[in-house]
Amino acid sequence: MTETTQFRVMDFDCSTCASIVERALTKVDGVDDVEVHYTTGRVEIDHDDGVADPETLAQTIKNQGYTPQFA
Amino acid sequence: MDTRPLTRYVRKHRKVIATSTSGLLYGGGWSLGYLTDLHTASIAILILAAVVGGYDIAKTAYHELKSRTVGIKTLVTLVAVGAIAIGAYWEAAAVVFLFSLGSYLEGRTMRKTRTALQELLELTPDTATVRRDGELKDVPARAVDDGEIVVVKPGEKIPVDGDVTDGESAVNQAPVTGESAPVHKTGGDEVYAGTINQEGALEVTTTGAGSDTTLQRIIRRVEKAQEAQSPTESLIDRFAKYYTPGIIALSIGAFAVTRNAMLSLTLLVIGCPGALVIGPPVNIVSAIGNAARSGVLMKGGEHLERAGKIDLVAVDKTGTLTKGETAVADVEGFGVDAPEALELAAIAEKKSEHHLADAIVDAARERPATATDGGATITREDDATGVATSTETGSIPDSDDFYVIAGKGVIAHHEGREIVIGNRSLLADHDVTIPDPVAEYVRDREARGETAVHVVRDGTVVGVVAMRDELREAAPSVVQELQNTGIETVMLTGDNERTAAAVAEQVGIDEYRAELLPEDKQAVIEAFQDDDRVVAMVGDGINDAPSLATADVGIAMGAAGTDTAIETADMALMADDLERIPYAVTLSKATRWNIAENVSLAVLTVAILLAGVLTSYVTLAAGMLVHEASVLAVILNGMRLLRY
Repeated sequence: MTETTQFRVMDFDCSTCASIVERALTKVDGVDDVEVHYTTGRVEIDHDDGVADPETLAQTIKNQGYTPQFA
Repeated sequence: MDTRPLTRYVRKHRKVIATSTSGLLYGGGWSLGYLTDLHTASIAILILAAVVGGYDIAKTAYHELKSRTVGIKTLVTLVAVGAIAIGAYWEAAAVVFLFSLGSYLEGRTMRKTRTALQELLELTPDTATVRRDGELKDVPARAVDDGEIVVVKPGEKIPVDGDVTDGESAVNQAPVTGESAPVHKTGGDEVYAGTINQEGALEVTTTGAGSDTTLQRIIRRVEKAQEAQSPTESLIDRFAKYYTPGIIALSIGAFAVTRNAMLSLTLLVIGCPGALVIGPPVNIVSAIGNAARSGVLMKGGEHLERAGKIDLVAVDKTGTLTKGETAVADVEGFGVDAPEALELAAIAEKKSEHHLADAIVDAARERPATATDGGATITREDDATGVATSTETGSIPDSDDFYVIAGKGVIAHHEGREIVIGNRSLLADHDVTIPDPVAEYVRDREARGETAVHVVRDGTVVGVVAMRDELREAAPSVVQELQNTGIETVMLTGDNERTAAAVAEQVGIDEYRAELLPEDKQAVIEAFQDDDRVVAMVGDGINDAPSLATADVGIAMGAAGTDTAIETADMALMADDLERIPYAVTLSKATRWNIAENVSLAVLTVAILLAGVLTSYVTLAAGMLVHEASVLAVILNGMRLLRY
């Protein structure tokens, strides 16, 4: 089932950081579409819930050095 | 000893700790080298400063490279490593510390912009009191089903969207509409999640809960608007794609020619157009966030930039400059008495949905009819005896047939007679002559800004109904404010010339265009655009949808609750508050200025730095300092719009 999960990342500190998180998330198995916005800190991910769960996605963002909040 | 709280503290404040430690080490290492002969110790401390401050930067740089991007953090890491390699320890530590401090401050200030909407989100209460199985239960607000009754006590926030089914109160709707004055709510009225019930208890039938509320929809739309790229942003993004590799090539080229490693490293420091890239969006995010809190929804940066160029505002008269509550001001009979003329008009207009028709029918219902009809009690007896009488339309009989002539009036038949209700143009089409006393009466009413319609029975004018739509109190001052900012104002109306002139004069508007059919309004806007004017159109979002779409910037009034208006308009005023228009227009202009300021500041900084580096006036540390300062300057400049 395709789900849409939204996070808020309040600690992006440069505009390229957002695009790097976006690329990292795109590479996760089961992720269909990713939008990461530097200015609003909003992260929206369309993903197959059976393959990539929200926890995995949150961990991916954490691995890049940022703090995701569920929104 | 339990070290977990300490670990958690360090993790949470990692950036501050790394930055300040790096700063202290840098200061210490530098003093040691400057004041004493302990050079090796000084070098060690400076390298430590670079490592402490640079660890996280290098980590992101690694991720940047892995995803094949060359970002600022890659460049900074490269510079620090390079500087250490050529023995410029002091510079390496300085660059790392300054960048670390700069990005900490950038993150902090951006967080402020990002949380501007958070305040709105937090307004919705988490729990709702629901009447279930005859009992009151507290449940999570998002778990309330449509149709369930929610009880809201005085002083509480309303947790769901819904219709009032019981109770009466004043509700502060500022979070949704930006209106500061509380709105009176009683049975049948709509209420919104996030608004505050001030006086009495209300029972509300839920129509939307959780993420399906007006407030949530507004927030989603505002965020999408903030994220949408404006033309300036896309232009800069395209430029930035070539700029960074360009500077890297320049740096390599400079080293090949001059063999000056320091010069090449300094070039890399200024290789990221930081201020240029975030300069425009930070303004747009701030401005759209600010507008949302004041009840103005903007569709995106593109529209905001266009709105900054507005030099003409066209305003629909009815419902925009006026309250949109047309009422009959006077009725004059010619050959018949006034109540009879009004009743004829009401019979013909009964099935029409035009706002003038509503006013006529309402007036006819309030006045006792001409004939033997005794009033309300008789109506009830009719019901009892099975005679079909619509209670809603009182004692006004149905017409046999009825046609609307758009923009002109109606034609109906009743008891074998033809009734025509309309303006001069309709009468002319039907070869009805207008006697002098009628023409004089009509002219007199129109000169007062009223709309007069003729009542014609079988080809003879038997009466005139004069209707009035009160001006909004704010209309003249709003027009004045727009004029003060150098914007021309034009009123568009379907009214005849004389009525329009009278209203235009009362409002003080620059120009007016009268006797317009709906499609004419669109043509008028196109004509202005052909004259190279940037036109904003203010209307009600439903009837004026075509002209709102044609205008460069369509501004819909009173959009709360009408999703179509929110979707189609470039700007939507949640409240029916005309005074938001000058605010929205001047905010857009201020945003456009701010973008221009930020772009020029960024370009100027890069140009000066580039020139300074190439002529060896700017050193590595100074280059970093100026670069970071310019980034912070554009962010702080943009944030002024949050408080506009």
